[in-house]
Amino acid sequence: MLETINLSKSFKGKKVVQDLNLYLADGESVGLLGPNGAGKSTTISMISTLIKPTSGRITMNGVNAIDKPGEIRSVSGVVPQELALYQELSAYENLKFFGSIYKLRGKELAKAIQQALEFVGLDDRKKDLVRTYSGGMKRRLNIAAALLHRPQILILDEPTVGIDPQSRNHILEAVRTLNQQDGTTILYTSHYMEEVEQLCDRLYIMDHGKVIAAGTKEELLRILSTEDKIKVEVNKLDEAFVEQVKTIEGVHKIEVTELQLKIIAAKGSSLISKLVHLTEKHHIQLLNFQTETPSLEDVFLHLTGRTLRD
Amino acid sequence: MKDVLWAQFAKDKRKPLLVLLLIVGSIAATLLFGGGLQSVTTVVIFSEEANAAEIEKKWGGLLNTNDTFTFEVVEPDKAREDIKKGNSDVAVKLMEDDYRLLVSKNMPSVSSVEQHVKKVFLQEAQIRAVESQEGGDVREEIESYLDDPPFQLVAQGLDSEQITAYNIRTQLLFAFTFLISMFLLGFKVNNVTQDKVAGIWDRMILSPLKKTNMYSGYLLYSFLITMFQIVVVLIVFKYVLQYDVGDNLWLIILIAACFTFGMISIAMLITGFVRTPEQFYAIYPSVIPVIPLVSGVYMMPGTITNPVLLFIADLFPLAHAMEAIMSVVFYGTGLQDVLMSLLYMLLIGIVAMGVGINLVERRSN
Ligand SMILES: Nc1ncnc2c1ncn2[C@@H]1O[C@H](COP(=O)(O)OP(=O)(O)O)[C@@H](O)[C@H]1O
Ligand SMILES: [Mg+2]
Repeated sequence: MLETINLSKSFKGKKVVQDLNLYLADGESVGLLGPNGAGKSTTISMISTLIKPTSGRITMNGVNAIDKPGEIRSVSGVVPQELALYQELSAYENLKFFGSIYKLRGKELAKAIQQALEFVGLDDRKKDLVRTYSGGMKRRLNIAAALLHRPQILILDEPTVGIDPQSRNHILEAVRTLNQQDGTTILYTSHYMEEVEQLCDRLYIMDHGKVIAAGTKEELLRILSTEDKIKVEVNKLDEAFVEQVKTIEGVHKIEVTELQLKIIAAKGSSLISKLVHLTEKHHIQLLNFQTETPSLEDVFLHLTGRTLRD
Repeated sequence: MKDVLWAQFAKDKRKPLLVLLLIVGSIAATLLFGGGLQSVTTVVIFSEEANAAEIEKKWGGLLNTNDTFTFEVVEPDKAREDIKKGNSDVAVKLMEDDYRLLVSKNMPSVSSVEQHVKKVFLQEAQIRAVESQEGGDVREEIESYLDDPPFQLVAQGLDSEQITAYNIRTQLLFAFTFLISMFLLGFKVNNVTQDKVAGIWDRMILSPLKKTNMYSGYLLYSFLITMFQIVVVLIVFKYVLQYDVGDNLWLIILIAACFTFGMISIAMLITGFVRTPEQFYAIYPSVIPVIPLVSGVYMMPGTITNPVLLFIADLFPLAHAMEAIMSVVFYGTGLQDVLMSLLYMLLIGIVAMGVGINLVERRSN
């Protein structure tokens, strides 16, 4: 089991990660979710032993991994956020190099390359230069390069940014297979809520260098169990109306998009009748009206007052 | 280490253009600025004496005995004008028994012209002296005698080795080859920064590969590809273009190897000051061309006397390498004689490498 205790990192006095406590049990699939700049990559770099924390501890099966980085390095594979590949070489040559630095040789190396290529669906393009690949193919190769030595823990840093849905699904499917069939422990970083929701047993939500919530999806959603989320569509909107909606008792948050209002309010508040009343007063027509089950996206909104994509 | 070496080589195998261009470049630069091998240079001659036509005819005939130069008679005014405007590098003003060189640029070819003209005038003076004593026409006799003299004076250095005449073309060959080597090895050292920024370096850090093996992989590749460039250029000049590069090719290659090691270390030192490969590309090519200028390798040895410049030149391997090579090629000296230069280059290399790698390591934390 991998564990971090009060892990912190400052760059030139600026605190980027603060008192982060996180654990990864064997065979788990854990998500690290947060908007850009939350400190996810910095956290990953510390966990994978690439940078040293300013303070705090990292242990691997109880052994201090800051002093003995080999403890983590020998069992983990890291998929970096950037495309760490030789663009001038073919996929095969890239994997040959990244496999050989893990001391794989001869038949063993060839087999590992073949499996990794098939796993990410690049077997038929293995002779082509990486430079000629689409963004999604490069991302897939970036993952393959971390799998050659069959790591027990796979750490992925935003492996799906900026790619086509097809490649994205392929990657999500591949990660799920690794976790469920091979028992690989997964630490998956993303700012896409849906991916983490689909893929992970447990997740940590990070913002401004701190973990603001952690738990299983159900546990996190329970944060919102005392709230209702209502989506309202109207034929027109004005400031005064929105202001008055805000003053309705029990309303926590309002998000306005064009002619839509998303309202999060305490359960059981007589929101609906008051809303109807207000629309009549402002001569606004209610077109549509819907209560929604809250998502993790709403949990984040609830905790930070911002959406993940902000 | 050999995996890193392989990856670097595989990249260059895919795109060999840069390396090939640099090899061709060193050959072309030498041929171009060194005055070429067989290309005939036209040198204008003129006289302003009363019997100008007679003098021009006489010396014109005597001078035009060399394959590399054609001496052409022009009007004095035109010759002076061309020199002033820089249209021609050198003109020879002829007198009854003497000459003056008019020089516009101090091109290496000028000293070759001077050597030739001087030789012709000296020989003529000797013939004249014999004639005045013996009387009669002894020219033919002397010329055939000179072609096959009963005694041959062989000039010898202290170590009884034959002295070869100093030759600016050979010096320039090494100067340009080393200039281009410095670019080549620098670009290869910069691959460390390039792979760092790309994240490939981090992948290696996480692998069982040792850090010393990572550095040595990159640096050894830079060394090998640069030695390849130097050796190819040397072989082309020695065996194809028949340049005089001395007989001790192995010693020259040893000197080149020490030079390459020293310069790779300096490139590593510069790498320690940059964050991105682009910064290296901005700094390195603006520093490198200054080194040969300060080291005076485009000029006759001993031209630079400023102690500050001499001191700066000594900090770089180039000056030591050129000194050693010149003494091996022109004076046939052996390993012991150039040992100090070799040690200097190795010392520069070790110090710069130590500081450079330390800086690079400190950057990454
Ligand atoms: N090497 C560094 N030096 C200074 N600041 C850094 C460095 N690396 C990251 N940061 C800063 O730390 C914060 C978190 O960055 P990062 O961990 O990359 O976030 P995320 O991966 O969640 O987008 C950002 O504000 C970023 O600018
Ligand atoms: Mg990141």
